[in-house]
Amino acid sequence: MSEKEKLLNPDPGVCVPWEVKMEEFGEFPGNEAISKKEWEKLDDFAYNFIWFWVQR
Amino acid sequence: MNETEMLYQKKLERYMTAMDCGKPDVVPVLFGIGEWVVKYKGTTLQEIYYDLDKSNSIVSEMLPDLDFDVFKGGPSLWWPPMFDAMGSKLYKFPGIGVDENSTFQYNEQEYMKAEDYDEFIASPTEWLVNHFLPNISTELENPGSYRSTVALIKSAAAFAMSGGIMGAAWGKWTVEHGVVGQGTGFTKAPFDTLGDALRGMKGVLLDLRRRPDKVLAACDAITPHNINCGIAGPGGADTRFPCFAPLHRGAYPFLNPHQWENFYWPSLKATIEGLWAKGKRMLFYAEGDWTPYLEKIAELPDKSIIFQIDTTDPKKAKKILGGRFCLQGGVPTTLLTYGTPEKVKEQVKRTIDELACDGGFILDAGGVVMGDAKQENMIAMIEAAREYGVY
Repeated sequence: MSEKEKLLNPDPGVCVPWEVKMEEFGEFPGNEAISKKEWEKLDDFAYNFIWFWVQR
Repeated sequence: MNETEMLYQKKLERYMTAMDCGKPDVVPVLFGIGEWVVKYKGTTLQEIYYDLDKSNSIVSEMLPDLDFDVFKGGPSLWWPPMFDAMGSKLYKFPGIGVDENSTFQYNEQEYMKAEDYDEFIASPTEWLVNHFLPNISTELENPGSYRSTVALIKSAAAFAMSGGIMGAAWGKWTVEHGVVGQGTGFTKAPFDTLGDALRGMKGVLLDLRRRPDKVLAACDAITPHNINCGIAGPGGADTRFPCFAPLHRGAYPFLNPHQWENFYWPSLKATIEGLWAKGKRMLFYAEGDWTPYLEKIAELPDKSIIFQIDTTDPKKAKKILGGRFCLQGGVPTTLLTYGTPEKVKEQVKRTIDELACDGGFILDAGGVVMGDAKQENMIAMIEAAREYGVY
């Protein structure tokens, strides 16, 4: 299992935690809060899509 | 504030008051335009399912002539193109797999095998992506392939598209007709998440005997996700409205009392309490008979659920839950199919007499109204509610 594929066990509402992605970005000279907010919105949408299939 | 906005506020106030166990000016009435409408509109169920614009236009056309307070929605429960894109095995939809006027059929299988429990419990969301989605979708049989990647793109796009279309339709119904929606958010009992979609009825019943610890651990792993699901999605965080929770295996007598109390109830109770801690109420959609469990349900925090009465004994529900929890329902769905408008009116009067006297009650069909219900009975239900439902 590669480093990128190790088990994340994300919290409810999360697919890939921002903190994980942030580490992968490495250098991040800009405003983290702006990027984080939008990442988390889209991540939550993806989470809802995934759980949609099992909640029917 | 214009006339429609005032109408919206009046209906909303009735709904809120009843949910908080109070007595509004009249008994609030819930209504949905279900599959039954198709035979009166010169169309097919397939068209209604596939063509959301057509389905929504039927609703828009009917709303001005219907007098009710809270809307449950139109006849399109699912948007099948989203499922077709994935090659989903979960359902047969009208026109594909079943006749164009047959309602959908759920294809229950063990999409999660008994040996998958540990991996699922360790990380439920990842297991769903890595194993459940490929198991339920013919297009995802070769993850990473062209067909698989395109299928995921299309299905996720369909998820967003249908959400946008339905969001716009609800906005229009609210602005033009003062429609108040029933709820926001959708969740289930963790045992139902496990028993409906993952292990199936046969699988989960065998598991209760063969691997009970795994069942409990899986329900515990699902619980925080089901709390989240109740407040997720468009408007889910709006705590004025309840989240919808169709409850399945907990109906009597699927499980024996020991199984219900030890396997079904603890994680459902934790889900409800978790939601209530965030201010979110659950529409405890108790399909079938829940009479033997009323005393346990009464242990919940006051007002944390709206209890749906399908075939649960209404008098016992009123005695045990009334005053602390809003009750809803009371009109048997079989009556809406096989009865007459006169019989429906008698039932509505009886229901209001028994359940509505001191408030905390919303009149509704007991369960999901099926496609063979008669329109004249549906209309009789809301007319009688207005006639007998004045406090």
